[in-house]
Amino acid sequence: MAASAERQVHDSADTPQVDVKKIRELLDANDGARIRTWLSICARCGLCAESCFFYLAHDKDPKLSPAYKFKNTLGELYKRKGRVDWDFLKRCADIVWGECTTCKRCSLYCPFGIDIATMIAVTRTILYSQGITPEGLARAVVNYRETGNQMGMSSEDFIDTCEWMAEETQDEVKGVTIPIDKKGAKYMYTVNPREPMFYPQDLAQAAQIFTVAGEDWTMPSTGWDCTNLPMFAGDKALAGQVVRNMYEKAVELGVQYILITECGHAFRSALFEGPYLAGYPDGKPPVPIVHSVQLFYEYLRDGRIQIDPAKRLKEPVTYQDPCNVSRNGGLWEEGRKLVQFLAEDFRDMSPNREYNHCCGGGGGFIPMGPEYKPKRMASGRVKAEQIRATGAKVVIAPCHNCFDQLSDLNKEYELGIRVVSLKELICEMMIIPDKFKPDEEEAPEE
Amino acid sequence: MPQIEYKGKVFDVDEDGFIDSFDKWCPEWVEYVKESEGIQELTEEHWKVIHVLQDYYRKHGIAPMVRILTKVTGYKLKYIYELFPSGPGKGACKMAGLPKPTGCV
Repeated sequence: MAASAERQVHDSADTPQVDVKKIRELLDANDGARIRTWLSICARCGLCAESCFFYLAHDKDPKLSPAYKFKNTLGELYKRKGRVDWDFLKRCADIVWGECTTCKRCSLYCPFGIDIATMIAVTRTILYSQGITPEGLARAVVNYRETGNQMGMSSEDFIDTCEWMAEETQDEVKGVTIPIDKKGAKYMYTVNPREPMFYPQDLAQAAQIFTVAGEDWTMPSTGWDCTNLPMFAGDKALAGQVVRNMYEKAVELGVQYILITECGHAFRSALFEGPYLAGYPDGKPPVPIVHSVQLFYEYLRDGRIQIDPAKRLKEPVTYQDPCNVSRNGGLWEEGRKLVQFLAEDFRDMSPNREYNHCCGGGGGFIPMGPEYKPKRMASGRVKAEQIRATGAKVVIAPCHNCFDQLSDLNKEYELGIRVVSLKELICEMMIIPDKFKPDEEEAPEE
Repeated sequence: MPQIEYKGKVFDVDEDGFIDSFDKWCPEWVEYVKESEGIQELTEEHWKVIHVLQDYYRKHGIAPMVRILTKVTGYKLKYIYELFPSGPGKGACKMAGLPKPTGCV
């Protein structure tokens, strides 16, 4: 219902008018030294092509090389000074949403370090100004605008869910609470709305871990959604508002850090795109940002959470580097060290760490909707083959979109794997200190 | 749009296997999802969940959050997973004929 498809573009007889003036404004606004240099410096060397999983998954189709994609979208828009027709814009939309996840892998291989993903993002912004964006993202954008979160959840429902999960979790860890709006807490924990809406056990698991670790944490009653789909839809103004909601709540509560759930693009938004979107000129968030991978690693490293050695995974395990946690977030070693605590037989994918391939679900692909699934499955072949080559039976994925994409790939390519989050594994394996053991379990021992 | 034929009925489904229109929902669809989800036997509890989801969807046009589902049915979260191993969204909502929810799911 929320979802008016107001911004969705239908192929109809009455083709909408292209607002060239608006396109020109956006082109001019982005016509700084960076983009001008990138557009002119590309030497057409082709080194970016082999870096792209879309290109690799489709028989090295040259039209899927990253250089082709930016030249034929943003490059053409500049060349033609925005005087383009509707068909051109539709072709651009197919490229910038259907053939790129803005994973930034190509930038590592470009001799000039051209940031192609940023140019793809600018193109998305231009298309959005013309009313073009995938329907699934358009629906989420309406929810953010109306309620501040992508699923349209009210603050009361969110708090009620937190209270309910704290209550149901007493059977696992005694004394679990989910503090709301606690001033001066060390961490303000922010989540993806799928957690309170559809996977409330994720909140319960986080609460168990924080309780056992003795953490000083809170969840905010507003600004708790750390995701930022307007950023991928091309709605820059709303993307800025979404991340500002979170920053300002953290400042209001006086917390030391904003903690991000196991979500990749939320880290990208909060850590390094958000400050610019929200209009912070120094490009720094007002409160330092920490990802769950970092904090969970510190818990295990420092012994605040102890893993029962008997429960460590015996079967082969691999780790999915989410692009926005590893390559773009810098946490590839922390992720690996963390997995060493949980698994006896860890096998890395190849390539890995900052050179990992995107799962194929990033950049908005999963929430773009079911109509994009066939593309996701086709381009995800690269990831499926990477996983199969490790022989892993368990894949740890500290990102919701990676998690969903790998679960879909598991069915599509019959990988025979179990996809898990870090929270889930840590809760399965951690030693519960006596003071947190539920009463009914203590009784027989006494 | 993919189609599924089951016991003489034809269903249009989206790429995630959700029925394309709530109005096309019928008991055969439930039978079909039950088989594909590997649910042994449909109990009264399954039907209670399905009816709660459908009532909510008719009123609000979206799937309820899990909290509301547990409140109205009186079931604990774990029990809902026992009934629907794929979970309340991908299992129960699919069976009740609701569309796939918006966002990162």
